[in-house]
Amino acid sequence: MRGHMKLVHALIGKSIAETILVAVLAVSFYLSAFPPSFHGWGEVQPHSIAGWAVNQADPWERLEVQLFIDGKFVTSGTANQSRPDVAAAGWASDEWHGFKFDLSLGPGRHQARVYALHANRRAAQQTLQMVGDPIMFDVAVDGALHPLSDKSF
Amino acid sequence: MTSHESNKDENIDRALAGWEILSVVISCLIAEWVVLAFVGNSKIVGAIPVALALAFMIFSHRQRGESLRDLGFRTDNFLPAVRLLVLPTIMAGALILVLAWLMRGRQFGFAPFRPRFLTVPLWALFQQYALQGFINRRAQLAAGIGLKSILLVAVIFSAVHLPNPLLTGLTLMGGLLWAAVYQRAPNLFAPALSHTVLSVLLALSLPSHLVYNLRVGLKYFG
Repeated sequence: MRGHMKLVHALIGKSIAETILVAVLAVSFYLSAFPPSFHGWGEVQPHSIAGWAVNQADPWERLEVQLFIDGKFVTSGTANQSRPDVAAAGWASDEWHGFKFDLSLGPGRHQARVYALHANRRAAQQTLQMVGDPIMFDVAVDGALHPLSDKSF
Repeated sequence: MTSHESNKDENIDRALAGWEILSVVISCLIAEWVVLAFVGNSKIVGAIPVALALAFMIFSHRQRGESLRDLGFRTDNFLPAVRLLVLPTIMAGALILVLAWLMRGRQFGFAPFRPRFLTVPLWALFQQYALQGFINRRAQLAAGIGLKSILLVAVIFSAVHLPNPLLTGLTLMGGLLWAAVYQRAPNLFAPALSHTVLSVLLALSLPSHLVYNLRVGLKYFG
């Protein structure tokens, strides 16, 4: 019976050790795959989706951004255009973090999402982090984009 | 000690043996699925759950007073165990060759021999130790000697080879065979030999897309 108690204690100890291991791995993975240092914003312009994206852990990095319309990948680009307002607001060390995707869509209501691509240290895993919120907009017959407010959809 | 207390002790022992099995299986699943998902092919991190399981198994053997000889690291019953295994191993080998012949468009073809195959005997012995020397012995405590414990060992061996469909099926059959033989002749070297022969034959003869480099767990997907 005494031996049994030692085994029970060993089982509990091993379970605790494994729980800690899995928790540490999960938290490390989350911080590595989805670092809280990514910031950005996207908005509708008359013929494009534009915005900015910054990785504050590496403020000189020009992030790759990907545009998805209605859940489908459309195009990708680099956030390296001038956005002096971003630097002025203290989000980035320099102004070269802007992006702009020119769009030519059929009339109707659409949703755009912009994601920043993040690769971990060995580039073994890549994740997409959404920049800002999903962007709802209407495309008019003449091809112009009109943003919709939250209440419109 | 009254018979009531004796029954209570037996029940505790059976339950404890079941928990011991579950604990070791969980370590395997963590190594195969969780570690790879979170840290990729890190051998150091992957070794942690394996080391925990191994340390626990050794501790359990000590607490239960099991010697290396009890576990099956012995030679006196090697030949009887080999005699029990030789025919099923030859039949399984023939089955693998026929399957390979069919899968290769009714032609024989063998993959090149890789140096890492030289480590298969050690790996097979380690697997047989965990499977028979620990899980089978605890399964016998939990479910008794016979079909129930043999099935339990085979299902566990098969489950840790998920999601590779071919290996899951073959290890279920191999698990049944080796567990049954171990219960009749508790020797680890003989099933390790059979395991080695069949694993190498499998890796050499079957098309790689079918065995997928013997990958299991999350590694199977990439």
